[in-house]
Amino acid sequence: MSAQQNLPHKHLTQDQVKDIDENIEWAKINADVLRSMENPRRGYWVAMFISVALFSIMIYAEVHQYIYGMGDAALNTSHMWDLYISTFVFWIGMSHSGTLLSAILHLVHADWRKPIYRFAEAMTTFSLLTAGIFPVIHLGRVWNFYWVMPYMSDRGLWPNFRSPLIWDAFAITAYLTSSVLFLYIGMIPDLAICRDNAKGWRKKLYTWLSLGWRGDDAQWRNFRFTYLMIACLLIPLAVSVHSIVSMDFSMSIMPGWHVTTFPPYFVAGALYSGCAAIITLFILLRYFFKFEHFMTMPILDKVCKLTFVIAMVWTYLNLVEFASVWYGHDIPSKEVLLAKASGPYSPFFWAMMFFGSVLPFALLSQWIRRNMYVLFFVSVFLNVGMWLERWMIVTPTLSLGYHPQAFNVMWPGWVEWAMVGGSFGWFGMLFLVFVKVFPSVSMYEVKEMVYHRKRTVYEDVDEMMNLHSGVPGPGPGPLPGSPPTPAPQSTGGI
Amino acid sequence: MPSLLGNIFKGWADYSKGNEEGGHHDYEHMYALVIDLDRCTGCNACSTACYAENNLPVVGEDKFGARQAMHWMRVERYFDEPDMDPDMGPDTSNIEDANETGTQSRGASFLPMMCQHCNAAPCEPVCPVGATYHTVDGLNAQVYNRCIGSRYCANNCPFRVRYFNFYDNSESWPAPMEQQLNPDLSVRSKGVMEKCSMCLQRTRAARDTAKREGRELKDGDIQTACQQTCPTSAILFGDLLDEASAISKVWKNHQVKLGTYKQDKENPELRGYRIFEELNVDTKVLYLERVREV
Amino acid sequence: MTTKIDRRNFLKVLGLGGAGAALAGCDMPSYATMEEGEEQVFSYLAPEEYMVPGIGIWYASTCLQCAAGCGVHGRVREGRALKLEGNPDTAVNKGKLCQMGQAALQTHYNPDRITKPRIGGKEATWPEALAYIKANASGAPVWLTGSIGGHQAVMLDTHLSASGGGKHYAVETVNAQAWQAACADTLGDAHPELHIDKASSVLSFGADFLGTWISPVKFMTDYGEFRGAPRGVLTVVEPAMTLSGANADHWVAARPGSQAAVALGVAHMLATEYAVSTSALPAGAVDAIVAMTPERVSELSGVDAKTLSKIADTLMSNHPSLVIGDGGYETAAAAMTLNLMLGNIGATITPGVELIPADLGVRGGSTKALADFASDAQAGRIGTVFITGTNPVFTAPGGLMMKDALAKIDLKVAVALFEDETTQMCDVVLPLASPLEDWGTHVPPSGAGRGEIHVQQPLMEKLHPDVLGLGDILLGLSQDAGADGLADFDDYYAYLRTAISAMIGTDLETAWQAVLQAGKVQAPAADRVFAANGALTTNVPETNAPTAGQLSLITTARQGLFDGRHANLPWLQEAPDQISKAVWDSWAEIHPATAAGLGLKDGDYVTITSDNGAITTRVFLYKGVHPDAIAVPMGRGHTHYGRYATGIGVNPLSLLDGTADGRTGEFTNTTSVRVQATGDNRHLVRLMDVDRQYGRKLAATISADQHRRNQGGA
Repeated sequence: MSAQQNLPHKHLTQDQVKDIDENIEWAKINADVLRSMENPRRGYWVAMFISVALFSIMIYAEVHQYIYGMGDAALNTSHMWDLYISTFVFWIGMSHSGTLLSAILHLVHADWRKPIYRFAEAMTTFSLLTAGIFPVIHLGRVWNFYWVMPYMSDRGLWPNFRSPLIWDAFAITAYLTSSVLFLYIGMIPDLAICRDNAKGWRKKLYTWLSLGWRGDDAQWRNFRFTYLMIACLLIPLAVSVHSIVSMDFSMSIMPGWHVTTFPPYFVAGALYSGCAAIITLFILLRYFFKFEHFMTMPILDKVCKLTFVIAMVWTYLNLVEFASVWYGHDIPSKEVLLAKASGPYSPFFWAMMFFGSVLPFALLSQWIRRNMYVLFFVSVFLNVGMWLERWMIVTPTLSLGYHPQAFNVMWPGWVEWAMVGGSFGWFGMLFLVFVKVFPSVSMYEVKEMVYHRKRTVYEDVDEMMNLHSGVPGPGPGPLPGSPPTPAPQSTGGI
Repeated sequence: MPSLLGNIFKGWADYSKGNEEGGHHDYEHMYALVIDLDRCTGCNACSTACYAENNLPVVGEDKFGARQAMHWMRVERYFDEPDMDPDMGPDTSNIEDANETGTQSRGASFLPMMCQHCNAAPCEPVCPVGATYHTVDGLNAQVYNRCIGSRYCANNCPFRVRYFNFYDNSESWPAPMEQQLNPDLSVRSKGVMEKCSMCLQRTRAARDTAKREGRELKDGDIQTACQQTCPTSAILFGDLLDEASAISKVWKNHQVKLGTYKQDKENPELRGYRIFEELNVDTKVLYLERVREV
Repeated sequence: MTTKIDRRNFLKVLGLGGAGAALAGCDMPSYATMEEGEEQVFSYLAPEEYMVPGIGIWYASTCLQCAAGCGVHGRVREGRALKLEGNPDTAVNKGKLCQMGQAALQTHYNPDRITKPRIGGKEATWPEALAYIKANASGAPVWLTGSIGGHQAVMLDTHLSASGGGKHYAVETVNAQAWQAACADTLGDAHPELHIDKASSVLSFGADFLGTWISPVKFMTDYGEFRGAPRGVLTVVEPAMTLSGANADHWVAARPGSQAAVALGVAHMLATEYAVSTSALPAGAVDAIVAMTPERVSELSGVDAKTLSKIADTLMSNHPSLVIGDGGYETAAAAMTLNLMLGNIGATITPGVELIPADLGVRGGSTKALADFASDAQAGRIGTVFITGTNPVFTAPGGLMMKDALAKIDLKVAVALFEDETTQMCDVVLPLASPLEDWGTHVPPSGAGRGEIHVQQPLMEKLHPDVLGLGDILLGLSQDAGADGLADFDDYYAYLRTAISAMIGTDLETAWQAVLQAGKVQAPAADRVFAANGALTTNVPETNAPTAGQLSLITTARQGLFDGRHANLPWLQEAPDQISKAVWDSWAEIHPATAAGLGLKDGDYVTITSDNGAITTRVFLYKGVHPDAIAVPMGRGHTHYGRYATGIGVNPLSLLDGTADGRTGEFTNTTSVRVQATGDNRHLVRLMDVDRQYGRKLAATISADQHRRNQGGA
C-alpha cells in the first residue's frame, strides 16, 4: 500500500479526509492531552462561574419549594407533572450518547470513535447524575425519597414493584453504576499516564485511581476482555433504561401517553439528543483545548452523518405515532394531537418539529459540517428541539385528557425554569471539573487508532515503531511542576 | 424454591379468578354509590358537607384559579345533553347553537363527581411506594403518611379526582377555626395526595359502634357526609355484597354489573350507567341518567 | 320613656346564659347535667359520665343561616362542635341540610367574630356599653331585625311595649311577601302548605323554591319525591336562571318584569284552547286573562304562543299541578289565578296552621319594613334603634339612601356576630352568641310539622366569654324596662324552659330532656280554613322592555351567599355558584347575543350604571338569561365584613332605586341600567372553564318517555 490514496473530494487534502494523521507521535498525544488538564485560564473560570451560578439558583428554588410546597412550581390538579419530568427524560436521553459511542460503535469496530468517546462517556455519567436529581426534587415529600429503594423497613413495606417509577429507579441506578464502571475502567491506562506525569495531589489521586497499572501483556489482555464485556452489558442497559423511562408514560392510560411505540421512540430520541450533544461538546473541546489533531473534521463529519440518520429514525417514529392516532378511533388521543398542532402549545410543537425533523437536513451540507460556528448552533438547536419534544409529550396531554372539567393550560413558573437551568449548571460543573482532572481524550485509544492507520499506510510499521520507541519527540514539554521526563519506561500505551 | 413458584402460581390464579368477579381480592364488603342525576339539583350541599367532614382546606381565589383547590366532591354543571333521544327534537340549549338568540330550554345538567373507587383503579399500580391500594371493603384507600408525592396516580386518574397538597394549607384555619377540624382523620401536610375516601372514618366508627353493641353492620349504619346532607336524597351509599341493601337493589334493577367494561343489559334503556366504563377501570359509582320531559 | 337598663341585672344575666343549663344530647343517660354556676371550662379531670373522648355526642338544635329554621343535629366531640347534619325528626328538613347550614360551623368559629362590646369602634366592657346606651337613649327604642319568631319574638315585643311602644321592623331582602300577599288575598291564608311531592307538575314564575324561597331544604326534600316515580315535570319561567330553573324540564326566558303576563297568557291559553273554566276566579282576573292574548304576551315578554301552548299542555297533562310565583305581587297573583283555574286548591295547596300561642308566629321579614324604617328615620321619628340579624346598609337599594337615614338616628345599637357595614355606623356594638352557642325557639315559616316549633340549644360552651345570646339580651333589656312577669328569670334559658314546660303541660326533667333531645316541641295549632276568593288584582304593566340602549338589571340571591350574610364564610365563598360555577368574585350574566351587540366576550369587565350608582364586574356569557337582561347575583361587594368578604366582588343592590310594588310595598329587584365595556379582561375564576361534555358520556340525559317505559327500575 502506498501513501497515495484516492481522495474522495478533489479540493480536500489528504489530511482533511483522514480520520487522524498517522504520523502523530505518542509523546505528542500524551503532551497535548495532559496539557488540557493544566491550570485553567480565564475562559474556564467564566464557564465555571456561570455553571455554579445556575446551580445556585436551582438550590434556591429547591429550598423555596421544600419550604413552601410544590404550588409555586406551576403545578395544579390537571398538570401534576411538568418541566421536572420532561427535563428528567431529556437528561436520560442525553446519557445515551456515551453508550452509543463507547459501546455500540466499539462492537462494530468503528475506529473513529476513539478520540471522542471519553468525553461522551463522561457526558453519559454526568447526564445520569443530573437526571437523577429530578425524580427526587419532583416529589412532594422530598425527604422520604429513599422509600423507593427496596430495603428491609421495620414496617415490612416494600416499594410497589408494579410502578414504572420504581422500574426507573432500578434501571437508572443500574445504568449509572455500569456507566461509571465503564468510564472508570476505560480510563485506567490513561490514569496511569497521568500518574507518571503528575506531581502533588494529582499524583496521589492518579496513583490511587490507576490501581497499579503497569501496561504489561497480561493486564492488557484482561483489560480488553473486561472492556468488551462491559460494553456488551451496557448496550441492553441503555436500551432498557430509556424504554423504562418511556413506560412512565406508556403504562399510563392518558391519551397521548398510552402509546406502544414510546420505548423505541424514546430510545431513538435519546440517541438523537446524545449525538447532537456530542457535536456540541466536540466543537467546544476542540476549540478550547486545541484538539484539532485528535478531534478531526472527518470524525466530526461522521458524527454529523450519524446524527442525521438517527434524526430520520426519530422522525419516522414520530410520524408513526401521529399516524396511528390520526387513523385510530381514540377521540381523546386525537384531541391531544390536534391540540399539540393547533392549540396553545402549538408554537413549541412546531418548533420541535422544525428543530427535530427539518434542521437535521442542514447536516447534509458539507459546508455546514465543516463550519464550526454554524454547526455549534445547529447542534444546540437540535437539542433544544429534543427538550421541546419531551415537554410536548408531558404537557399537552395533561392539559386535556378524558374529563373536560380538567382541561387547563398551564405555563411553567420561575421555580421550574430555575430547576431546568440549574440542571445545566450542575452538568456544566461536573463536566468542567472532569476535563481538568481527567483526560478528556482517551490517549491510549488514540494511539491504537494511529497505529492501525499506520499499518494501512506503511508496510514496516512495526519496524518504524521500534525505531521511534524510547525517544520522545519534540513536544511542548511536560506538565508544569512535574519532573523532567524520565527515561522511557513501560507506560500505558505502546 | 418450589414454594416460591407455588406462591406465584397461586397468586396468579387468585388474580385471574378475582378479575371475573369484579376485583382481585376476597372482598368483605363492596362499598359503592348511586347518584341519581334526576334528583340532583346541583345545590352543592354535598360538596360543602365534604369540606366540613374531611378537613378540606379553603385555598382562596388565586389558588383556585390556578386549579390548586381541594374539592374532593365537586358538582359539575353542563349545558349540553348527550344521549338525548334524537327523535325528541332539537336541543336549543347547546351553546354552540347557530341560533344565537335562543335561550336555554331545559335547564342544566349537574354532575357530582368524586373518586369512583374503581375496582381496577389505574391509580393503584403506578404509585412508587404503594401509598394507594384497594382495601377489602372495595375502597380505594390513600395512605397519607406513605405518600411521597410523586403524583403519578393523579396523572393516571381519568376522572381527575385526585388532589395534591401543593401548599401547607394551615392558613386555611385561623384561630379558632381549627377547632372545627374533625379529629377522626388527619389534616394532610404539603406534598401528600388526597381524595374522597367514601368517609372511611364513618365506616370505622359505624363498625366500632356495631361491635360495641354486639351486632353486625346493617344497611344504613354508614352514611357518607354527602349522602347524609343531600336534600333530595340523590346519593345512596351501601354495600353491594349485602344483597338486602338498598344499593344492591338499585344496581340490580338497572342491570349494571361489576367487572366488565360493557354492560349487557336486557333492557338497554334503563337509566343506570357508569362514567368512562369503556376504559375498563370498573368504577363503583352508578349514575342514573337525568330525565327531561320534552 | 327612657329605657332603664340596670347594670346589676345585666351582669347577672352575663355569663350564665346557657352555662347553667342541662345539655341534653342523644344517645346518653338522661340525668347528665352540668351544675349551675360551675366553671364554664370543661375540665377533663372530672369529665361527665357521658363524655367519652373519641366518641361524639349529637345534640339537637336549629339552624339559623336563613329564615327557614331547619332542625339540625350537631356532632360534638371533646366539647367542640364539629359537624352539623339535618335533624331526621323535624318535618321541615327530614334530616337534610343545605350548604348554608353546613357552613354554620364557620359562622360560629369565624376568626372575625366580635368578642367584646364596642363603643364608637373601641373595645369596652358590658357595664360601660350598657351605661352608654342608658345615657344616650332617646325616645322609645325600635328594633330592626331579620325574620324572627318563637319566644325571641315574644321577648322582643315585650321589650318594645315595656319601653315605650316602639316599632319592630322585620327586614328580609329574600322573602316571599308577594306570594304571601297573593295567598292572603285569594285564600285568606298567607301561609298555605305547598305539596310539591304530591304534584305531577310544578310551574314556577320566578320563585326559586329549590334555592332560596321560603324553605329550600323542605322543598328540595319534596322535590326528591316529586322526581321519584311517577315523575313530575318542572317548568320555570324567569328572566335569569336560578337553581330551580336549572333543574327545569322546560325553562322559559321571559323579559324581566313580565312573568305575570306570561302567567296570564297561560291562563288565557287554558281558557281558550283547553276550555278550562274561569268560574272560580274573581271578575277582575277574568278580564285580565281575556285581554292577555298570545300576541300581547309576546310583545310584553318575548315568549311565543308555541311556548305558552306547551306550558298549558304540560299543566293539563299532569294533574294535579302546583303553580308558584314571586318577584312581584302581579306575578304571584297571576300564579294563584292559575291554581284556582286548575283546581289545585285543596290538592297541592292546602291550608296551613295557626299557632295557638299566636305570638310565637314568625314575623316574616320584608323589604317594605326596610322602606318604612328608612322613611321613619329620615323623618326623624326614630331616636334609638337596636339592630340585629340584618345588614341594611348593605342590602338596602341604593336609592333608599340608608346611610343618610341611619345618620339621623341618635343612638344606634347593633347586636351582632360580625362587624359589617351597618355596625360601622352604630354607636354601640354588643357581641352576640353564635347560633351554636345560644338558646331559642324558632317557627319554620313553611308550616311543615303543623305547629312544630324547633328548639335551639347550645352545642358547646361559648367560644368567647363575653358574648351574650339574643334571648338573654332581650330578657335583660325587658327586665330593665320594667316588663311584668320576668323578674323570676335569671336568664333566657330559665324563661324558655318555663315557657316550653307550660306548652307541654309538665315541668318534669325527663320531659324537658325529651324536648331537647328531639330538638322540637309541638305547639298547639289550629288548622286554618281557606276563605272564599277574595279580591285579586292582576295589573300588568303596559310595557316591559327596557329603555333603548339599556338592559334590565336583575339581582337575585343564590343559595350560598344568600343576601350577602354568608360572604364571610370561606366554605361558601369557595363553593362554586350553582349556575356559573364562579368562586370568590362577582360576575354579570348576559346572553351571548347581547354580549355580541356590546362587543363583549367572556371575562370582559363592564361598568353597570343606574341612577343610583355604578358597579364594575366581569361578564359571564350563557343562554340562561333573557337577552334584555343583565343578571348580577347579590351577595358580594362587602366593604366591611371580615377578611373573607371585604373587598371581594360588587354589590348590585346598590344600583336599585327602591321602587316598590303597589300592593305589598316590596322592592322590585330590577332596574334599568347602562352597560359599558371598560376594556379590561380577566379570566373569571370558576370550577370549570368548559360548559359542554365534549362528546363524553358524563351527565347523560334521557327523555321522559324512555324513563316512563322503564319506571319500575328506579
